[in-house]
Amino acid sequence: MLDEWSSNILVTDPMRVYRSKRDAARKRVTDKYSILGFISSGTYGRVYKAQSKESDGRIHAIKKFKPDKEGDVVTYTGISQSAIREIALNREISHENIVSLKEVILEDKSIYMVFEYAEHDFLQVIHHHSQTLRSSITQPVLKSLTYQLLNGLLYLHDAHIIHRDLKPANILITSSGVVKIGDLGLARLTHQPLQPLFAGDKVVVTIWYRAPELLLGAKHYNKAVDIWAVGCVMAELASLRPIFKGEEAKLDSKKNVPFQKDQLLKIIEILGTPSERDWAKIKDLPEYQNMRRLDPFANRLGQWCQSRIQASGADLLSHLFAYDPDKRLTAAEALQHKWFQEAPQPTRNAFESLPSHQIPPHRRITVDDAPSMMPLPAAGSQAQAQVSQVQATAQANLSHSHSNQSGKAGSGASFASMSAGGTHTRKKARLG
Amino acid sequence: MATNFWSSSHYKRWIVDRATLRQARSDDVLYLDDPDLLGFLNIFFANLISKLGKKLSLRQRVIATATVFFRRFYVKNSYCETDPFIVIAACCYVAAKAEESPVHIKNVVSEARMLFGEEYGIKSFPSDNSKLAEMEFYLVDELECDLTVFHPYRTLMTLCGKEGGGSLPEAEAGEADADDTDGPRYWGTGEGKLELQEGALQMAWFIINDTYRSELCLFYPPHLIAIAAIYLTLVFHAPTRAAIQHAQAQAQPHASTSASHSHSHGQSHSPTRRSSRSAKKPHPQAHAQPQDIVGFMAGLNVSMPLVATVAQEIIALYALWDRYSEDPGVESARAALLQRTRKGRAGRAEAQVQQEAEGATAAATGAVTPMFLVQVLLGMREQRMADMAHPASGRPVVVNKMLERTQAAG
Repeated sequence: MLDEWSSNILVTDPMRVYRSKRDAARKRVTDKYSILGFISSGTYGRVYKAQSKESDGRIHAIKKFKPDKEGDVVTYTGISQSAIREIALNREISHENIVSLKEVILEDKSIYMVFEYAEHDFLQVIHHHSQTLRSSITQPVLKSLTYQLLNGLLYLHDAHIIHRDLKPANILITSSGVVKIGDLGLARLTHQPLQPLFAGDKVVVTIWYRAPELLLGAKHYNKAVDIWAVGCVMAELASLRPIFKGEEAKLDSKKNVPFQKDQLLKIIEILGTPSERDWAKIKDLPEYQNMRRLDPFANRLGQWCQSRIQASGADLLSHLFAYDPDKRLTAAEALQHKWFQEAPQPTRNAFESLPSHQIPPHRRITVDDAPSMMPLPAAGSQAQAQVSQVQATAQANLSHSHSNQSGKAGSGASFASMSAGGTHTRKKARLG
Repeated sequence: MATNFWSSSHYKRWIVDRATLRQARSDDVLYLDDPDLLGFLNIFFANLISKLGKKLSLRQRVIATATVFFRRFYVKNSYCETDPFIVIAACCYVAAKAEESPVHIKNVVSEARMLFGEEYGIKSFPSDNSKLAEMEFYLVDELECDLTVFHPYRTLMTLCGKEGGGSLPEAEAGEADADDTDGPRYWGTGEGKLELQEGALQMAWFIINDTYRSELCLFYPPHLIAIAAIYLTLVFHAPTRAAIQHAQAQAQPHASTSASHSHSHGQSHSPTRRSSRSAKKPHPQAHAQPQDIVGFMAGLNVSMPLVATVAQEIIALYALWDRYSEDPGVESARAALLQRTRKGRAGRAEAQVQQEAEGATAAATGAVTPMFLVQVLLGMREQRMADMAHPASGRPVVVNKMLERTQAAG
């Protein structure tokens, strides 16, 4: 009944028929979106600004994971744990203060995650104030940004998700001033884990935002690590530079995690040396003896805050920076803090109080220096590839000059939610 | 999300009805002499996933997730146009990642090749990692990236779990952020726990394992499956049932109306009755008294007729499974049930199992074996290929093989 070829296929590749059916049915990224330009890149891949070809013409950010390569040939080597995580978590969640995932397109051995677009991010706002405006972020803006950040975090924590990588570059703001937490690539569900959290990723959270229990080598940690990071971010918004800007000690050749002496020192210099009275369990942590060898300091956070944050804001910060993770505020408690009840109350649009010239410029998009990362219409032949490359460049140039009119110092550094790179280098190991 | 089933992708997109599933199998039944074989295939595939999962040292919850992925894949596809063996391997591979306990792709490939090749004579399983990774890609696409799955185990442990984890074979690692502060349960009374004996809890767990041999995970939310499993346990687990009967006999004299029906009885008079409205703590003396199990079940805020339906389907699965000859394995509650039914113990549900099982065996010409099913599958696929090349219209489809060969070559 079957000829030789057909029965051969059954033996060698029984999924041929299935795949060709699927491939024919699948809509391609470029069928649905026109690429406006390139936003940023990192170890994970590249992010593009794109416009939907649907009638609404909405703007999106498309994150393309780096395809796997064996030599020069792109092959399938398995989807990374972090991509699986980010995709799986994003499919389940929905909140105003979390970047929303519109769809995922799997095509040609690449994964594209289509997110809602956000014009700004915390890092860009900080740069804008320190470089261009040369003035600090006003209290109403600081308060609204912090409030919305905590509000998004409350949602994640209620859903038993620890973000594990909160930092200014990962927190976006839309043009209407709504905060959106992005990049769930390191986030994890903590409800009934089959394996303890430390087993998967030995190092989490970019060093400047890393909580003391992690620096001291705690094997068990919880949501409180995100709260510490919120404290760091809030302080950075207030002072326009990272509050604990330590040097990271690198993993040794055996991939052992070293004692992060410098980072811990930076914390102690401001918050004082933690005592067993503040934090009873500290003496059980692996790096406790190492910490005791550091010079002792007294707490001078109050002094640090004086010129930077209102009194009750400083009180909130001190509770976000509680050494003992069990005493650190939860997101829910932080939202109840009196600073948020006092005038000026946090606004839904963080920029509401700002005159238009103080609003940070639009995100800068550029020509992709590696246009091959984007699928080409009817990809395949070399000639076609070149043609569309030229088209893409022209298209990108157009939008480039356009965006230049509005902003001179846009943060080309990173599309935060997606960015692992940008000005902050990603400082952590990932499980492949 | 992790706590709220009702806002999950599982609830919103992956509870399907029977018509959808019938549609999904419409091509397959064309190539099957007996539509009953679909039920056997369900058992067969679940057993394969479980076997492969054990070889990869996957936890029970990962195996369950892999099985759900497999069922979802075949809501959209036909057995006759796909290779279920590579789909199984991809399901295990993705489930391990989705449950945060990844295994290396080359282990999956080598274990799957060994299992499928040596035990079932499947020679087509690729040795190349990239073929499995390719299948993963298509699988994740078919699953619409919905990789978070809810399982009945969680409900079981919420309702009956002992604090600090029991001695269950698969007690989950309640490590790290093991906060069970989920607030009030989103269904049920939110009060107290059902204290099952160790053996009973284990039986309920095994019954849940068994439900993955059917398509129940596509039809019903996991908490209903869990409650049905608990209900069956109360009936089948002899010491527990004896305790219930004893408690009822004791309570009988106090009943104003002779409540022969256990539900109404449980609701009317029982010292430890839990009601969704009663905010009072259980009376101190309640601890000394045996727990009112029937009252606990009746107090759950779920549709009891629906639970009964699920229980019926589980029993029907056992009846079907009885005609399938493969070592049922030690971890199957069915093995225990079969022993008990054969001893001829009384009990309505058990009698029914026996009755159905006997009827089925009589009807069957012989037990269905895995090797027979493998032949059925291969036959379906061959015929399908032939039909696609020569459709019923009589007009053969032109297959440009030269072109396809070129494409295959790169």
